[in-house]
Parts: sequence; C-alpha cells; structure tokens
Amino acid sequence: MTITDQAGPPAVTAAGLRPGDVRALVQPDRVRGLVYTDPQVYELEMRRIFREGWVFVAHESEVPEPGDYVTKRIAGEPYIAARGRDGEVRVLANRCTHRGNRLCNADKGNSSSFRCPYHGWTFSNDGSLSGVPMRDGYAERFGEVRASLGLVQAPRQESYGGFVFASLEPDGITLAEHLGNARHAIDRLVALSPTGSVQLSAGWMKHRMYCNWKMVMENNVDGYHALFTHQSVYDAVRPAKVSHVPSKTETMVRDMGDGHSEIDYATEYRRLDEEFVWYGRLKREKVPGYIAALEEARGVEGAHDTLVIGPPHTLIFPNLFIAEMNVMTVEPLGPGETIAYTTPVLIPGQRELNSRTLRRTEGAMGPAGFLIADDGEIGARNQLGLAAREPAWVTLSRGLETDVTDATGRINKDKSAETPQRGWWKHWAAVLEGETAGSGAQS
Amino acid sequence: MTDTVFAAPPPAHTDPSAAALVDPALVAFIYHEARLADEARYSEWEALWDDDATYWVPMAPDADPETAVSYINDNRARIRSRVAQLNTGVRHSQTPPSVLRRTVSNFEVTEAELTKGEVTEAVVTEVERGGTVTVASNFVLVEYRFAITLWAGRYLHTIRRTEGGLRLVGKTVHLVNAGGPIPTMAFLI
Repeated sequence: MTITDQAGPPAVTAAGLRPGDVRALVQPDRVRGLVYTDPQVYELEMRRIFREGWVFVAHESEVPEPGDYVTKRIAGEPYIAARGRDGEVRVLANRCTHRGNRLCNADKGNSSSFRCPYHGWTFSNDGSLSGVPMRDGYAERFGEVRASLGLVQAPRQESYGGFVFASLEPDGITLAEHLGNARHAIDRLVALSPTGSVQLSAGWMKHRMYCNWKMVMENNVDGYHALFTHQSVYDAVRPAKVSHVPSKTETMVRDMGDGHSEIDYATEYRRLDEEFVWYGRLKREKVPGYIAALEEARGVEGAHDTLVIGPPHTLIFPNLFIAEMNVMTVEPLGPGETIAYTTPVLIPGQRELNSRTLRRTEGAMGPAGFLIADDGEIGARNQLGLAAREPAWVTLSRGLETDVTDATGRINKDKSAETPQRGWWKHWAAVLEGETAGSGAQS
Repeated sequence: MTDTVFAAPPPAHTDPSAAALVDPALVAFIYHEARLADEARYSEWEALWDDDATYWVPMAPDADPETAVSYINDNRARIRSRVAQLNTGVRHSQTPPSVLRRTVSNFEVTEAELTKGEVTEAVVTEVERGGTVTVASNFVLVEYRFAITLWAGRYLHTIRRTEGGLRLVGKTVHLVNAGGPIPTMAFLI
C-alpha cells in the first residue's frame, strides 16, 4: 500500500455571496466569465452542488465482490465505497472516528475491515466499529463509545443502472427526481449489454486539467468545437463518425432539463440504419460472441436496433458524462484545476469486444488521447483567456431562436447550437441560488 | 495511486558488472530515440519502429492490457496515426511542441535475455541472430509548456537488429506517477 500524496481540494467554507448574486451572473444567452474563475463562486458550488446535491461517486462493478472497496472524494472529502458481506455497497467517510486519520489509503482493494494504523481501531466494511485496543481505558463507557463511533455514512445514497450517487445533505429530492430525463441515457447505455449491466472495471485514467470543472463538462456536449479543436484527428487519422457540419447530419442537441444535456445521434444513426457507426463502424463479424449474446437477449431485430442507436453522449449534472463507450467524471480541485477521470464501458463476459473498447478508449481519451489531450489544452487556454476581465460575458446564444420544446426537453436540430450549455447554466444558477430542489437543502 | 509499489521491471541480473556490458550500439540507439522525441522530430522518430511494434504506457506496473486501460497502448498503425496527428501542426496540445529534454541512464539488460546464456554472449548472440534484446533504463524528463513539468520513470526498450540497422519493437514506459493524476501527455514520452 502506498500513501496517496494527492491532497484533495480545500474544505468547503461558507461563500460570501448573497441571494441574487449568482442569478445576476447568468442570462439566457450568456454567462459572466467569472463563473469559471471566482473563488467565491467555486466555494458555493462545492456546497450547493457537490455537498447538498446528488453526485456520481462510483459504479457498483468497481466493487463486484464482498469486501471490495474503492476510495473516492466528494467535494474534497475522502470516502470509501465498500461492498459489505451482505452485498450492499456503502459510501463511508474515509476518516477514523477516533482522531481523524485517513483510514484507507489505497485506490482499491479487498478487505472485510479497515484498521487504523494510528491506534489500531478497526471498522467493519459496513462501517461499524468492531475493535478498539485496550478498551479498559473507556471503562464502563466502552459500549456507548463503540456504538456511537462507527464510520459516518453518506447521508443519502442511491444507485441507478449500477451508477452509485450520493449526497452529503440528509434532506432533498430523490435520485430519480434528480436524474429526471437523464435516466434514459443510462438505460440506453446498459441496453448494449446482453446482461443489462455494464462493467467499469478497467481503472480510471486520471487526467489533471488546468481549467474549471464546468469547462470540461460543458465541452463534452459542445457540438460546435469538434471541427476546430479536433481538426488534427480528422485531417490525419480518420473522418468523424458522422459529419460535424450541422447541415449534413440529423444529429441534434438537447437540454434534458435539470442541468442534464446531450448530443443525440440516434436520428442520424437511424437514418443511416447502420450498426456500430458509433464504434468505428465495426463489422459485426469481428465480435460474433457479443452479437450472439445480444440477439439472445434482445432478439434479432432488437439487437440490430440497439446496435444502430448505440450508446448515449450525455452529460448528467453535475459530474457524470457518458461518452458513448466511456464514462468520465470530474473532480474540481479549485476554480482553475480539475481532475478528469475516464474509464471504458466494458460488457460483462465479452472479452473480444472489451479488448477493442480498451484500445478505443486509449486512442481517444485521457492525457495522451487523440481527442481529450486537445480538449485539455483548449480548456487551459480558455482559463488563461478568462483572466482578461473584458468582455465581461461569455456568449452562448448560438441557436437561441431555433430551440424547440418537446417531450424530451428543449432540442435544437443544429448540433452546433449551444442549447446544452444554456440548459446547464440555467440549472446551475438555480441550484446555487437554492431555488431548486436539485440543490438538496432549501436553505 | 495504486496498491502496487513501483517495482517493474524485475532486476536485470545478479551481477552488477553486467550493467557495464550493455552493447554501446544499443545505448546509442536509445539516446538517439530520446533525442528525436525531445526535439519533436516526429517522422524520424516513427521511422525507428518495426512493424510489430508496441508503445505502451500503463497505469500500473503489473497492469494487464487485456483488462486494464492504459494511458497509451499503440500498435504500429496507431503509432503512425499519433505521429500523423502531431505532424498536422494543429495537434493543439503540442502546438507549439513542448520544450523537452530527458536524461536516460542506469542501463541494464533485462533478465529475459540473460537467461539465454552468459551475460556477454547472451546480448551479442541474441542480437546477432536477429532476435531482440530488452534494455531497461531510468529516465528523467523535463517538459516546459505553460510551466515546468517533471516526468520520470523506467523505460524498457525492446530492440531488434535487422539488415537495415537497429529497430524499435517495443517501448514500455513505467511512469513513477503512473497511478495519476497526470497532466496532458501529448508529446512522445
């Protein structure tokens, strides 16, 4: 075991912003540049979004067996996600309840208990305090001490499709209410698995980016940048899966409400009626085992339809991005620094397919990826550019006049429209102002 | 960081004097490879690689690339693509290229080759036969972009002697901070 020397971001303190201050930073078609740079805004985000709201923490497949655990951070605080002997995954504060030592110092492992190296207190992986050396020192209070000093569990925890979310605030909306329309994105992802579940077991690339966390997230659903930011890929390596020129594709962007948004290629894929367009136009002959299993599970037509439509390209507010066969989550470290974590979506038992997926993730994603390395660079330059205080606003008006509302949210058939960003900021402001149930507490 | 203490690759040999016996031509080849990477001479760097190449930067020294994602796991075709992308001039994360200088040292021939025979014979014989030899080394790399970034780790160069000269078959890079987080690494590590 190696001691992790990566300190998390500073603990949250009360931000000095007054009601209405954040609202004034966001207009329907623009936001103030300082939303990316201001320390007070950042502190309020940590409280309203990352502590009080629902955030993605881990995936159940990261801890498949009883005793498995992974360590994570929520709003800068260390947490353990551990699967107990009873099969339950619990999100527990990674802090010895005695004197505060960080209990578990590995990224992942398997252990039925956690023993603090400082004074030897031992906690079961369900959080209960199971052992205290030299208990006589507590005299007759020992029973009370043991009963009251179990590990602190995240006040709220729920999962959907194997994705575990938590909130550090006891009261607030349910996860289902938080996910809203975005649950369909998780459904669309897991539909690709014959077993109905996906496996995020390949490890997370940890990419340190020198930009605000929101830039990383909103860029993920920016249908405008690809031809420019990623020109080198299309020039030198391969053409884009479908055209990035809006007039040449039926790809749309969607504000799904509640801060969630996506670039939806489904209509374009259906028009093409071609399988695996989203997977380098893979020929089904290359993955016969997967095809057979999917047809077994969904029927011949169902499998075809699933393989045509493919996975989502969806941002789930605030920190989860399903990028086709990759999952990305972000951890803010400060107004200008973020860790982006990325892992491939593997399908249980489909080694043939998974091996290809691993190579595709490495090609596109992470610190050396053909795509994301350049997004990281553009993000860093964006942060540098925003050091200029004028113009005061960042403009997000593209496609404002052509947005339309339907049952799925607010959509725009021009994939370069900034509809997803407008949805993000509208929700962001409401959450920071405490105006929406999405913020958890209504203080 | 991971559970695994950085320990790869295994010790090269039990006889410390063997380190001095690494074929100077192999060392010169590794220096050359390092300099081409440092100086963003992408196409010349690419020309060092043989057809069955693997350029691998894992996230843990004991990672299995069949089940674990790596930072880089390029076959020959992807090495070509990587270089082609760098050569466009609009690979933004390397436009302009990072200023790089690396020091490579502590050369050792790894155990795999030494088991084939006595130290001096093994290296020479294996290479002369057209086989490969794997040379382990340590490196320290200073990158200057927006600021100085320090990179360090262990290299494993697998080199083949062909009629056209030495060719690179494999390059594995075990970063000391492979557990991450790591900054953007779009240059040739």
